[in-house]
Amino acid sequence: MNSIEVDHLTKKFGDFTAVNEISFQVKEGEIFGFLGANGAGKTTAIKMMSGLLQPTSGTAIVAGYDVVTQPKLIKRNIGYMSQRFSLYNDLTVFENMQLFGTIYKIPRKELKKRIMDSLAALDMTKQANLLVHSIPLGWKQKLAFATAILHKPKIVFLDEPTSGVDPIVRREFWNLIYETASTGVTILVTTHYMDEAEYCHRISIMADGNIRLLGTPEELKQQVGVNTINDVFVEYVKH
Amino acid sequence: MILKKEFIHIFRDRITLLLVLAMPVALVLLFGFTISTDIHNASIAVLDHAKDTQSQNFIQKLSSSNYFQIVSYPSTEAEIDFQFKENNIKLAIIIPQNFESQLEKEHSATIQIIDDVSDLNIASILNNYVRSVTQDFQNEYNQHITSADAFSITTKMEYNSNMESVYMFVPGIITLIMILVTALMSSITLAREKETGTMRMLFITPVNKIHIVIGKVIPYMIISFLSTIVIIIISVFVFKMPLNGSILFLLLLCIIFMLTAASFGMLISTISTTQLDAMMITMMGLFLPTVLLSGFLFPLNSMPMIFQVLANVFPAKWFILAIKDVMIKGSGFFDVWPYLTILFGMAVVFISISLKMLDKRN
Amino acid sequence: MNALSVQKVSKVYNKTVQALRDITFEIREGELFGLVGPDGAGKSTLFNILTTLLLPDSGDIKILDMDLIADYKAVRQVIGYLPGTFSLYPDLSVKENLDFFAVMYKSDIEANMDLIRPIWRQIEPFSKRKAGKLSGGMKQKLALCCALIHRPRILFLDEPTTGVDPVSRKEFWEILQAIRTQGITVLVSTPYMDEATLCDRIALIQNGSILGIDTPEAIMKHFRGSLYTFRSADIFSLLNALKQCPLQCNYYPYGEHCHIAFYEDMEKAMPQFLQFLEEQHQEHGEITAIQPSIEDCFIEIVKMNSHE
Repeated sequence: MNSIEVDHLTKKFGDFTAVNEISFQVKEGEIFGFLGANGAGKTTAIKMMSGLLQPTSGTAIVAGYDVVTQPKLIKRNIGYMSQRFSLYNDLTVFENMQLFGTIYKIPRKELKKRIMDSLAALDMTKQANLLVHSIPLGWKQKLAFATAILHKPKIVFLDEPTSGVDPIVRREFWNLIYETASTGVTILVTTHYMDEAEYCHRISIMADGNIRLLGTPEELKQQVGVNTINDVFVEYVKH
Repeated sequence: MILKKEFIHIFRDRITLLLVLAMPVALVLLFGFTISTDIHNASIAVLDHAKDTQSQNFIQKLSSSNYFQIVSYPSTEAEIDFQFKENNIKLAIIIPQNFESQLEKEHSATIQIIDDVSDLNIASILNNYVRSVTQDFQNEYNQHITSADAFSITTKMEYNSNMESVYMFVPGIITLIMILVTALMSSITLAREKETGTMRMLFITPVNKIHIVIGKVIPYMIISFLSTIVIIIISVFVFKMPLNGSILFLLLLCIIFMLTAASFGMLISTISTTQLDAMMITMMGLFLPTVLLSGFLFPLNSMPMIFQVLANVFPAKWFILAIKDVMIKGSGFFDVWPYLTILFGMAVVFISISLKMLDKRN
Repeated sequence: MNALSVQKVSKVYNKTVQALRDITFEIREGELFGLVGPDGAGKSTLFNILTTLLLPDSGDIKILDMDLIADYKAVRQVIGYLPGTFSLYPDLSVKENLDFFAVMYKSDIEANMDLIRPIWRQIEPFSKRKAGKLSGGMKQKLALCCALIHRPRILFLDEPTTGVDPVSRKEFWEILQAIRTQGITVLVSTPYMDEATLCDRIALIQNGSILGIDTPEAIMKHFRGSLYTFRSADIFSLLNALKQCPLQCNYYPYGEHCHIAFYEDMEKAMPQFLQFLEEQHQEHGEITAIQPSIEDCFIEIVKMNSHE
């Protein structure tokens, strides 16, 4: 079953076409890498898929809902985490998770249980009452991810979740992504680390609002005739 | 160069520019037309101890002006009190004994005015009317005689000897504008450089920090100085506010207060890291005390002691005292130098603290 | 002469957070030196100190034989700085920004045009546009022009490529190489390990301490384990299986591969490992010995440190 179906999705800002008739499907439980140069239209596409921005034309069905007519239902059924906005620094770990859980209307008792479970899974139970401000970036990012999936969304959008994170924590983070995907959650992730692109089941490469390439990392490398995704990327996103 | 850049910033930010330029005019007109609305036929009482020709002339003069309606002629001061309590009168005037002979022999006399403290605004307006009637009376009298015989009448107010002027709002607005434009805008512009990170870029250039700060503050001082001139022009020509002192000295006074306000803005910007911080601190730490504790809207001597003491800490009170004296009494440097010294001292203290804070590299 | 000499520099924030501890390194004139480490390692604190914005708690720093703390005014004339976040005036035009910084350094655009021309040429068509309206890449090129306009002798760049796509990153490093050929010493920080190999020498930094300083080649040579790469169709299940591995080893995903660093005598250990894979039904896949990358080295050093 497909959990994301994008069909000729387009967004224009005046004369400028940010996203130009892109179409693709993402299967349930798939880790889909959404790559592209800065300004290629990734963020605009993600905003449309998460119901934050109305498309100019085309449609997308996300988690079974139409982005044009049912954006509210989409927001309820997806999780979102970005490198820039994730958690409130002046709240504790627990308060942050409680806040986001309450926004998604998770019942009080259930919420507490889920928070404790996910902290235990991250081995961060002891840090529950620390201010987010005082914990290292890598932990923050893992925590932000745990918070984004607290309401058990069907799809999680991750926008550069590992930017600036050290190589070890970056791998731990991907471990989390794998574990989450194995429970049937669909993951759509953007990254500038090309080795991470290799961890994805399938990837797409965007340039100038169009999807230039789409397939498994293996297929793309063969298609372009190079050894790494980095080379694929450089080959297809020449300025 | 920093100066030029700051002007570019100001002119590119149309909304702020409009606000800064239009606000003083709007404030003056607003206050001018709401506060100084003419009061006609206010009920007053006159206690004439003299009962001579001149006192009769004076009373005649009072009642022929359409400001007042003399509703009672009490014969004792106790009666005046009673009239006030019964709310029959807004103001009482006491003419001293031997009014005429005092005028003739000593060329001066003092008329006592008693205000109704329950409405200070009206009281101060009426005070001024009495003044102007007295002035007229005096001028008419003096016209007919040689200058050696000219006399003057002083008025003495009871209850509230500070409430001399309806034009209180002009110094008040000048103060507000200078605080808003100079202190607020300069603290915001410095905080903005911190927020965008450009302050770091400036600080790692070989240019002195103090030059950077001065370069950023001067444009706002210029703007608020221009606003001040506009306010003075409007109040003198539209609202006929007296300007008895030297205009140059008045402007010098404004410049000194501007320096104090700018130094306060600098100090605020050194402790705040965002524009929002700077704005909140200026509003709470400077603007509100200026409105509340400067004696501009609310007379200080009717406040609890603690606020009267507190008012001394803020520059506005001293500036308003000084500017009032200069505009109305026509005082010069030797009359108001203590106020000037206080304002200047505050500026020196604020500037040295902020320089010290700026110099710390952490 | 060293362009930069940092001796035992420490900095503690709020008496509790140790941002830098006993940092010591030297950069030779004309070198392209990389400071490689994740966010929060202390790179930005170090940059703030080196650009005279922050005083260290202890330690000595000399820039071109000038004392950084005492002669900070003179130091400011010879350094250029590109901060990690866009720090120009968004409401001024491209040209106005450049003019402004030129005047602040008592320099003018023409005098050093030859230095910035290759970069300037790319943004010149937009010289009337407000800086805030430029694209990310253009903003950065403008910031670089502003940082170079007084022909500094040392250029500091704080994570110029974070969040930048691989193509633009490659382009940016080409620009850095070109700047270096003009005789300008470059100190650049990056969280991307692959960029480390583009530097003459690098310092690996983590938690406020320098873990190692050397040429990228030497760092890679000093890798202590024996590194193998394992290619498997299902890395996730392989990683799970490796949790049971009886041998002394580190393993982690690396792109489409799994890297395994053994700390054993491989002649004996390899047959043992192959047998283990068979038991775990992970035998399908090829295992090859490889040379470590900087990222492998970083992972090894961090893991060693955390064990000690």
